Amino acid sequence: MSNQMAKVLTFGVSGVNGFPVQTEVFCVDGMPMMEIIGLPDTAVRESKNRINAAIISSGVKLPVSRVTFNLAPADIRKEGPSFDLPMAVGLLIASGEVSPRDDFDPDNTAFFGELGLDGCIRRVNGVLPMVISAKEHGVREVILPDGNAREAACIEGLRVIPVSHLREVIRYLNGTENIVPEEPVAFEQLKREASCPVDMAQIRGQSAARRALEVAAAGGHNLIMIGVPGSGKTMLARCVPGILPPMTFEESLETTRIHSISGRLPSGSGLMVTRPFCAPHHSASVASLIGGGQDARPGEVSLAHNGVLFLDELPEFSRSALEALRQPLEDGIVSVSRVKRQAQYQSSFMLIAAMNPCPCGYFGSSQRACHCTPPEIRRYLDRVSGPLLDRIDIQIEVDSVPVSAITGSAAAESSAVVAARVASARSVQYERYRKSALFCNAQLDSNSIRRFCVPDAEGSRLLHAAADSMHMSMRGYHRVLKVARTIADLAGEETISSVHIAEAVQYRELDQKYWR
Amino acid sequence: MKTDAAVETSYLAWLADLNVPADKLLPVIREYRTGERIFHAAAEEDPRLSELLPPDVIRRMKTTGTRDNLRRLYNLITEHKILSVTAVDDSFPPILSEIPDPVSILFYQGDLSCLQHRRISMVGSRHASYAGLKAAEDIARELSSSGIVIISGFANGIDTACHQGCLRGGSPTVAVLGCGLDRSYPTANSSLRKQVLDNGGLLISEFSPGQPPMAFHFPYRNRIISGLGDAVILMEARIRSGSLVTVSHALNQGKEVFVYPGDPSSPYSEGNRQLLREGATYFTTARDILADMNWLDNPPDEVQNSDCSVLSKARNETETAVLNCLLPGPRSFDQLADTCGLPPAELLGILTMLQIRGIIESVPGKKYQIIQ
Repeated sequence: MSNQMAKVLTFGVSGVNGFPVQTEVFCVDGMPMMEIIGLPDTAVRESKNRINAAIISSGVKLPVSRVTFNLAPADIRKEGPSFDLPMAVGLLIASGEVSPRDDFDPDNTAFFGELGLDGCIRRVNGVLPMVISAKEHGVREVILPDGNAREAACIEGLRVIPVSHLREVIRYLNGTENIVPEEPVAFEQLKREASCPVDMAQIRGQSAARRALEVAAAGGHNLIMIGVPGSGKTMLARCVPGILPPMTFEESLETTRIHSISGRLPSGSGLMVTRPFCAPHHSASVASLIGGGQDARPGEVSLAHNGVLFLDELPEFSRSALEALRQPLEDGIVSVSRVKRQAQYQSSFMLIAAMNPCPCGYFGSSQRACHCTPPEIRRYLDRVSGPLLDRIDIQIEVDSVPVSAITGSAAAESSAVVAARVASARSVQYERYRKSALFCNAQLDSNSIRRFCVPDAEGSRLLHAAADSMHMSMRGYHRVLKVARTIADLAGEETISSVHIAEAVQYRELDQKYWR
Repeated sequence: MKTDAAVETSYLAWLADLNVPADKLLPVIREYRTGERIFHAAAEEDPRLSELLPPDVIRRMKTTGTRDNLRRLYNLITEHKILSVTAVDDSFPPILSEIPDPVSILFYQGDLSCLQHRRISMVGSRHASYAGLKAAEDIARELSSSGIVIISGFANGIDTACHQGCLRGGSPTVAVLGCGLDRSYPTANSSLRKQVLDNGGLLISEFSPGQPPMAFHFPYRNRIISGLGDAVILMEARIRSGSLVTVSHALNQGKEVFVYPGDPSSPYSEGNRQLLREGATYFTTARDILADMNWLDNPPDEVQNSDCSVLSKARNETETAVLNCLLPGPRSFDQLADTCGLPPAELLGILTMLQIRGIIESVPGKKYQIIQ
């Protein structure tokens, strides 16, 4: 053997986007050694040991040679173990152990996968962005771990070859074995499998809270619930993904991408069709919420993209974590900057916050006495800053439901019924804002409120009376109008009348009771 | 403020700091009449003083009777305009030297003459229900508007509501503190303190200036609260509340005690229910108290608010239905929705209308009630 060279195509991930990586393998007679160049990280550098063992375990004897792997382009950092398979395939071709069949097109076939020492191929993170990028670069066939196959099969126009062992890959390339491509997964079919763990029908009583959730979902409004421990705040919040309109294909792609690079997708899953529900613990750091770490990973706000971010015990979150939420709430996108890497992640989520009314939790409870002094309650409530509250349109109070009511009352409306009303309200909004860059009522700013939320005469009289008697701020006034717009949309009415205003006013009353 | 009064108050503060039981201290004050004379008697080792006081007290009088200590007290007294009165003075409330464990020295700010009026002591917990606070304020206001001075303990919760109600009714109010008058305690009440004084009220304490608010001071000062009132009203007390201590002081002092029944299911008024079971007198309005005390010559400006007048404010049948549900007392949203059979969206709207017109209000816990 003199010297041999091979090129194999693969893809890497930077932020939420994939980029092509050309794996070049160069074998030359000499001292047996392997070298990897092209800005590899530790996981990539370790892959030579995995490659060596996997090839031997597949029953192939490598010739004694000096091997150089180059991952081009050489100026972008390569991370993760997904380069194992393309590097091994390149080495096998370069050393002449595999002679690909004639129809093998190295420029339009991409490989991803992590190797085990026994030659098995393990699933990797970030396959969705890599596959999307592969398709954009004209790739026709991807060979990847079977644990990732369903995820990749959601992208139309690609042959997805699932493999579970290096031996299969060798035989496939040699043309001695044929592998059935993964069935393309139709998005509509996945959607039918969508399910939300908690259904509205499971909630007894709480008619006011149910209604508020419906309004919030219909307008995409953020919502805060105040109530005693055990009043069902968490359960109510968990219902929300189930009553939001179903995800569109684009939304699903955006969300799945982020989950894919974070390794949050379960093995064998395709695109996400249920809206995500992220409930970080209140000890969460700024980096875990917003995104960060050495390689600028996405945080909870991005994992909740197109879904629900639920912050239970809101005042217990650190002040800095809560303040950091303001940018994603405002812009729907976060820029995470670290020395080594900058990334932008989408983070347009519906915020649902829950909190107790006081440190002991029982202020205003009809069942237990509260032990807190007024200054203690004041300090507790003040941990939630005004600017954050300003971004929350709907405030509701939730009281615990007595056991008699839980057992006695009839089953309530199911999520599906509520979701249908929400969906029709959303489609009204979609039509109305088609010419502007808006999707739902929650996104209206003060200018567009003046344009789209004009109440009738009776309605504006009522709103002014309410603003006077409740000492509403200008912001509170605008919020009432926005929510009234959604309530009118739910009722299928174009003009905002006094009935809608009157209901919307109830969703601001906590300003008077707690934050005055 | 006259300088010599401040000097005399400093001597009395020094005397009060010795913590001599009143039965020992009263004869000394009767003998010498002023704090200054007692101080000099101690300095000159007057044999008459040694007869009246045990030797360890005499010793402590010498160790604490230093120039520095007296100057410290004098500075506090002049800075905070603190006045004093002893059991031998004419202006001293006579009742306080007659009660068990009598008071011999009182420090005060404000006007002692407001103790000449009819007086009611109102007590209740610091941790009170919203309804309890509201009731306390309303009753204090109505009593105050018929010329009655309300005495309370200036603590958070019910006490504060009583003082505020009294101020709104127009009569001066009396606050009995559990610490030196220079201390701002509780801190949340610093503006209330000014209001009390600006409205001809009175802040009193048996603790000398500089004394911190120690936990054991409070049950002790409660005997002054009950002692100063012609009757004692208990608004809200749990089973082991300091307010029940005040009630037992009141009973020992032979005062009339009135107990507010409260909501039968509320954990905040367990103590009230226990007293009522033991046969205490119950009341629900200020008029009840005035009638029982034979003070109806000057009835309170009660808000005319009978049930029918609330219902007459309703503008349509649904509003009437909602108000009818609220007549018995505060109701939660779910209860209202069930009883009236209205969909949540419509009910929320009606509640807003009623709130804006000032007929009902919403209270913490997602409850609504008729404004009394």
